[in-house]
Amino acid sequence: MENGVRLVGEAVMPRRRALAGGAAATLAAARLLAPALFVGCTSGIGPRSRTVPVGLLHSQTGPLAISATGLRDIELHAFERINEAGGILGHPIEVRAPDPRSRPDLFVKRARQLLDAGAVALFGCWTSLARKAVLPVMEEARRLLFYSVQYEGNESSPYCVYGGMVPNQQIVPALDWLASKDGGGRRKVFLVGSDYVFPRTANFIARKHLAGKELKHVGTAYVPLGDRDFSAVVKRIRESGADCVLNTVNGDSNLGLFSALADAKVDPAKLPVVSTSIAEDELRGLLPRQVQGHYAVSCYFQSLDTAANREWVAGFRREFGFDRVTGDPMEPDWCLVHLWKQAVERAGTFETEAVRQAFRAGLEFAGPGGPVRLDPQTQHTSKFFRVGRIRADRQFDIVHASPAPLDPDPYPEVAFPGWSVDWTKEGVTRGPEVDIDGPV
Amino acid sequence: MSFAPQDWFWLYDIPTQQLALGFVAVFVGFYWVGSILVRPILRQFIRHTAGANDIVGYVLSCFCVFYGLLLGLIAVTAYQNVSGAGENVTREAAALSALYEDVSRYPEPHGQNLRWLLRDYTRYVIKYAWPLQRRGIIPEEGTIRAEAFHEKLLDFQPQSPAQEIVHAEALRQFNNFLEYRRMRLLSVNSSLPASMWYVMILGAVLNIAICWLFDMRFITQLVLGGILAAYLGTMMFLIFDMNQPFRGDVSITPEAFQTLYRRMDEE
Repeated sequence: MENGVRLVGEAVMPRRRALAGGAAATLAAARLLAPALFVGCTSGIGPRSRTVPVGLLHSQTGPLAISATGLRDIELHAFERINEAGGILGHPIEVRAPDPRSRPDLFVKRARQLLDAGAVALFGCWTSLARKAVLPVMEEARRLLFYSVQYEGNESSPYCVYGGMVPNQQIVPALDWLASKDGGGRRKVFLVGSDYVFPRTANFIARKHLAGKELKHVGTAYVPLGDRDFSAVVKRIRESGADCVLNTVNGDSNLGLFSALADAKVDPAKLPVVSTSIAEDELRGLLPRQVQGHYAVSCYFQSLDTAANREWVAGFRREFGFDRVTGDPMEPDWCLVHLWKQAVERAGTFETEAVRQAFRAGLEFAGPGGPVRLDPQTQHTSKFFRVGRIRADRQFDIVHASPAPLDPDPYPEVAFPGWSVDWTKEGVTRGPEVDIDGPV
Repeated sequence: MSFAPQDWFWLYDIPTQQLALGFVAVFVGFYWVGSILVRPILRQFIRHTAGANDIVGYVLSCFCVFYGLLLGLIAVTAYQNVSGAGENVTREAAALSALYEDVSRYPEPHGQNLRWLLRDYTRYVIKYAWPLQRRGIIPEEGTIRAEAFHEKLLDFQPQSPAQEIVHAEALRQFNNFLEYRRMRLLSVNSSLPASMWYVMILGAVLNIAICWLFDMRFITQLVLGGILAAYLGTMMFLIFDMNQPFRGDVSITPEAFQTLYRRMDEE
């Protein structure tokens, strides 16, 4: 100011300079503080590492829920452990588990929904009916289905990995064991099953295998899946003069079968029932007096006395409850999840064809039930064969075990001559058509 | 600009203290930048008005009363929203606990199977449903578990008058549980409507704009207006943080279910 007159630029310039300086300082401070201020902030789309969706396809309601819920839980357990360890290829696995309600049509619908939602692979299905319904969907989408339940064989799909036992690993050794001295030297077997493809094919293979053997087939009965009235079937078993029963009934129909056997006062020592689809989980719904002394044939029992198994069972119970049980096919299911993880890591991608190529390395996993090898030719796994006698605490005494894992053969020559599969070469080699309901 | 809740969910991923600081920084920054760029223009309107600061002060205090009331009421509404959702969660856990006690009276093997189905539900809520709710996603698979339990509950046929009473009570408790569960799911995305946010933000901008009209030393303007803007930012942060009952640090935790699960696991 000079004589009350402001000179142009005299006071304005310092203020402008101050403002410019202030703005520059603010920007510099903002730039300095921004990383600290917005650390942990995400784009709103998702976490830093993309989650990879995987679908679980297990019935949580309906007649198969009693068996399939355990599979869902062991898969959740496996993926939770995997995620805690950093996921697969650095990606956390996001598990989605809708409910197909024990209905094959819903299995197809849910599979489509899961695949449409981006699931890179599905783990699931219990019955062969459901698996056969879902497989075309998987083949169309070119994604893998991991199936862990024992089944009838006579099937191969490049988009299915079979983790359960096939008849040459379960039904055939079970019949041989029944006929052996250890199995009581049985001579007459009655076949009872649920009325769908697994029991019918398994029983066809059983009848083929028994042809010319000392153990004779004396009758067969099928009951619709979910039915619980077995009084007529038990009467037929009695009348047949059978001294053993091979049971391929599935789901909670087993409650009806064993209830009817107990009501008819069947003595397990004289007429033992050897079940293919009964594990510790199914026994939860049965009273000990109904089942004690009968047998189950399987690749795994919770009572298996090894350090690896004790640790695995303890881990599952710690997570899901002190009264939960493990069994077959939960153990094969656990192995399948880890075999898939191995394959993805070997392939370096979740892409199906690359993962299938990784199978060719002959993947192996040390499961709670023993070592498991994924056969690249059949995409089935090697299995121990074990026989368990049901105890009063609804666990099993293991009374027989194969000395080594048995290799899988989805097309046993005795039942399907000329048929074979090799996914490392030409795929399925077809033999003559076989009528499983026809005469043996 | 959208105020759909999901468009702003990423803000909840910022730790609370940093988010609060961010809100304050945005409001103070807006005021300061406006003081530099907009204030000189606005002051042209009242430059030659006698007692301009008194008029601006009067207008500001009137405005602040209404705006303060609005902010206060909205903050209370947001708090009640969180509190109501929290109450539903506690009630759901309490109903679940009572149901667990009821089915413990069932004969075996029903009792054990029903108990582990409830444990499975509780585990799902803690491990899977809560993280989804925190992302604003309504968890769906709990419904499957509730249905599985209902199916098994209906499977049970009472064999004595005592069992009939227990069964009837279990069914009644199950219906209570379902009701609270539905209310919890409905509250996952309950939040203030977008129009409220528009009004709040417009009010904050006007509040700040009125402050730009004061005629005072520049540095005084920055400090006094900055204090007001900082408090506005704090209030906005508070409302924002309480806006989603299951998101942010001021949110409902699964503690009620965790306590229940621990008890179920101990038995």
